[in-house]
Amino acid sequence: MKKRLRFVVSCVGLCLFLGAACLYAAALEYHQVYKPKEGMSADEIMQLKYFVKYTLFARDYESTGYVYLVDANGFKRERTFLRRRLILGRGTDDLSYKDLVMFTGPTAVKGLAILTWTYMSPDKEQNQWLWLPSLKKIRKISAAQADDSFMGSDFTVEEITSRRFDDETYKLLREENFQGFQSEVNGQSYHQGTVCYVIEATPKRTPWYYSKRIVWIDKKTGGDIYHEVYDPNGTLYKTIFKDYEFISINGLDYATQKFLEVKDLRTGHKTAIDMQGIKYDQGLSEELFTEKSLMRSRW
Amino acid sequence: MRKLLILFFLSVILATNSYANDFTMAGYLKNETSVGLDTLNDVNKFKNIVGLSGEYKLSDSWVFFTSAKYWYDAAYDWSSKYDSAQHYMGHIQRNDWLRDCYLDYISDNLDIRLGKQQVVWGQSDGIAILDRVNPFDLTEYWLPDLVDLRIPLWMVNVKYAPKVDSVLQLLIVPDFEQSTAAPPDAPFAFRSYRLFEGFRNTWLSGAGPVPPLPPAFLRGPLNTGIYYPGKKFKNSTFGVQWMDRIGDIEYTLNFLYGYYYSASTYNESPPAIPPITLNYARRFKLWRLYGGSFNKTFTESGPLQGITLRGDFAYYNDEPTYFGDVDTGSSAGVNRWDNIFWLIGIDKYVATNWLVSFQYSQYIMQEDSPGGISPTTGKPYETFNRYTYGPQDEVENIFSLKIMTDFMHERLKPEILWSWTDDNQGKVSPKVTYEVRDDLWVTTGIHFFYGNEYDSNGQFRDKNQIYLNVTYTF
Repeated sequence: MKKRLRFVVSCVGLCLFLGAACLYAAALEYHQVYKPKEGMSADEIMQLKYFVKYTLFARDYESTGYVYLVDANGFKRERTFLRRRLILGRGTDDLSYKDLVMFTGPTAVKGLAILTWTYMSPDKEQNQWLWLPSLKKIRKISAAQADDSFMGSDFTVEEITSRRFDDETYKLLREENFQGFQSEVNGQSYHQGTVCYVIEATPKRTPWYYSKRIVWIDKKTGGDIYHEVYDPNGTLYKTIFKDYEFISINGLDYATQKFLEVKDLRTGHKTAIDMQGIKYDQGLSEELFTEKSLMRSRW
Repeated sequence: MRKLLILFFLSVILATNSYANDFTMAGYLKNETSVGLDTLNDVNKFKNIVGLSGEYKLSDSWVFFTSAKYWYDAAYDWSSKYDSAQHYMGHIQRNDWLRDCYLDYISDNLDIRLGKQQVVWGQSDGIAILDRVNPFDLTEYWLPDLVDLRIPLWMVNVKYAPKVDSVLQLLIVPDFEQSTAAPPDAPFAFRSYRLFEGFRNTWLSGAGPVPPLPPAFLRGPLNTGIYYPGKKFKNSTFGVQWMDRIGDIEYTLNFLYGYYYSASTYNESPPAIPPITLNYARRFKLWRLYGGSFNKTFTESGPLQGITLRGDFAYYNDEPTYFGDVDTGSSAGVNRWDNIFWLIGIDKYVATNWLVSFQYSQYIMQEDSPGGISPTTGKPYETFNRYTYGPQDEVENIFSLKIMTDFMHERLKPEILWSWTDDNQGKVSPKVTYEVRDDLWVTTGIHFFYGNEYDSNGQFRDKNQIYLNVTYTF
C-alpha cells in the first residue's frame, strides 16, 4: 500500500514538475524579456533559447549585414542584406512574426527579397513570397525543405528559420565553461569561459539528416552559442557558432545575435554572417511586411 | 549610345556630390552568344549589352529610379543571310533602351509610381495570360527573361491599401508601343511574317504566273501602312487590379481596357480593276481583359503540405483573331472574338532542394470555325495561329514542366524547362548557371524545338541553338 502511495505521489510530483515546465513555456509571453534562471530544465532552457533566437521579446527588429561563403581553398563569395522582422504573437490569425530579407548586393542578386510569415501553431509551415528581379514579379513559393541549404550557405533552412521547440527532445548533459571559439573568417575569439548549459537535442523526425546536436546555451543571455551537429551515423560533421550579446533597449537587455559562423567539417566550406546596424522597437509598420511592400523593389 | 552616356555622367555627378549617400548605382556588361545546333558555324547572336541603373532617395517618401541598356548584335554584321534583318536586329533600340524611369511616392496606404515602368499581373510562369499591361518584344521569340521581353511604358501606377494585405491598383497608360517581332530573315522571324514577305516579294517581282496570284502584267502596287492610335488621353490603356486574401488564399481581380498591342492586318484593296492595287492596313483594335488569379500554399500538416497551387483566368473580350486559308497561308480577315485563357500551376520542393513546377493551361476560342470558304482551295476557312498562320485549335491544351536545383552552395544551378501542347509540339530548354565570382556569372544552355511548321514552337524546329551568356556586374 505504501509502495502504491509512493508511486502515486511520484506520479503526481512528476505531473506537477511537467506541468510547471509547461507553465513556464506558456508563460513566455511575446514582447517580454526573460533570462535563464537556476534550476531550469532542458525543456525550459530550450524554450527560452527559441524565444531569444527569434527575438520574440521585441516588437520589431532590423539589421544589415554581410554573408560570407568561403570554400576550403579560401575562395570567398559575399552577400549583403537588409533584414526586418515584426513580432506579432497574434492569436487571431495565428501569426508569430513576419520577416523580410532583402539582398542589397552584389549586383547579380541585388533586389532579391523574401517575405516570410511564421505561425504560432507548431504544425503550420511558413508562408513565403519571393520578389524575383528577373521577372519583376512576386512568386508565392513553397516552403523550402527543412534540410535544404539556406540560401546556399552551410546552414540548413530549419537552422535559420523554421526549427521549433517541438521538433526535438532535450536532455541536460551538464553545465560548463565554454572553451571559446576562434573564427576562421574574421580571426576573432569569442566567448572563452562563458558559463553554459550543455544540452543534447535529438530530432523527433527519423530518419533525418542529423542524429543529434550538442548545444551550448549561454547562461547569461539564453542564446545558443555553439552547436555540434552529428550525422545519422553519429559522426560530428558540422559546427555552428553564434555570438550573442546584450543590447540595451529602454533599460532592458535584448539578447542579440551579432555574428554567426558555421563550418561543414566534411567539405571545409564555411559560412559567416556578420550583423550590423541592429535596431529594435522602431515602430515598424505591418505595411512593410506585405506584398505591396515587396512590389516596391526597383532592382 | 549618347543617351546612355548622358545617363552615365548624370549618375557619376550624383554619386560624387554631397548626396552620394542617398544615391545607389549598379550596372552590368553582358555578352549573349548563340550558335545553331545543326550547323555549329552559324553564330546567330553575338549581342553585347551594357546596362546601368541608378536610384536616388529624395526623402523617405520620394525615390527616383532609372535604368537603361544599350546593345549591339554583331552577328548581323557577320552573316550575309541576315542582311535584310541587319538594320532592325543589329542595333535598333526603338524606345525601349530606357527600361525604367520613374518617381516613387511611398506611404503606408498609398504608393504612386509615375513614369516608365513594367507592371506584371498574374501567377503564370512564362505564359502571358494576365501579364498584358506591357507589350512584348518577341524579336527573339519567348527565349529571353520576361523582364527583357516586356516593353516598358510611361504610366501612372497607383496602389491604395485600404487594409493590410489588400491593394487596389489603378493604371493609366497614355503611352503606346506595339509588340514587336523579328523581321523576315532574322532567326526567330514568325512564319506568318515570312509568308507575307514572300507574297509581297512575289507580287512585286512580277514572278508568275503563281496561283492564286493574277498574271504579272495585271499586278499593280502593293501598299502597306500602319495606323497607331491617336495620341489622345481617351486612347490610353486603363487597368484595375484588386488584390486581397480569403484565409490563406490570395486572389486578384483584374480588368484591362485599351488597344491590343499587336496590329491586325486588314486587306483594304480597291476593287480588282487592272492593274490591281493591294492595300494592307495594320490597325490596332480595342479590347478588354477581365480576369483574376489566385495562389495558395498548403501550410497545414498533411499530404498536401508544402504544395503551392496557383492559377490565372482571363476572358479576352474582342480579341483580334485571324482566320484564313491554312493551305495557302493567306489571311482572309480578322474576327473580334471573346476568348478564354486559363492556367493552373503546382509547385513543390522534393528531395531536399529540387523544385518541381508543373503548369496546365487552356486557350479556348469563341468558335470552332470562323465561317467562310476559301475561293482558292474551296476549303472552309480556319482560325489562325497568329505566329504561323497555321490552324489554331478551338481548345489548345498547353503544358509546362520546370525542374530546378542547385549544387556547390548555389554556385551551380541547373534547370530544365519543357513546354508543349497537345499537338505534339514544344520546346525543351535545359540550362546551367554558374557563379564564377560575385561579379561574374556564366549561363549556358540549349533551346530545342520540335513540332511542325504550323506550330508556335515547331516553326523554329530548324533553329535549335546552344547559347552562352557571360555577365559581369558592377
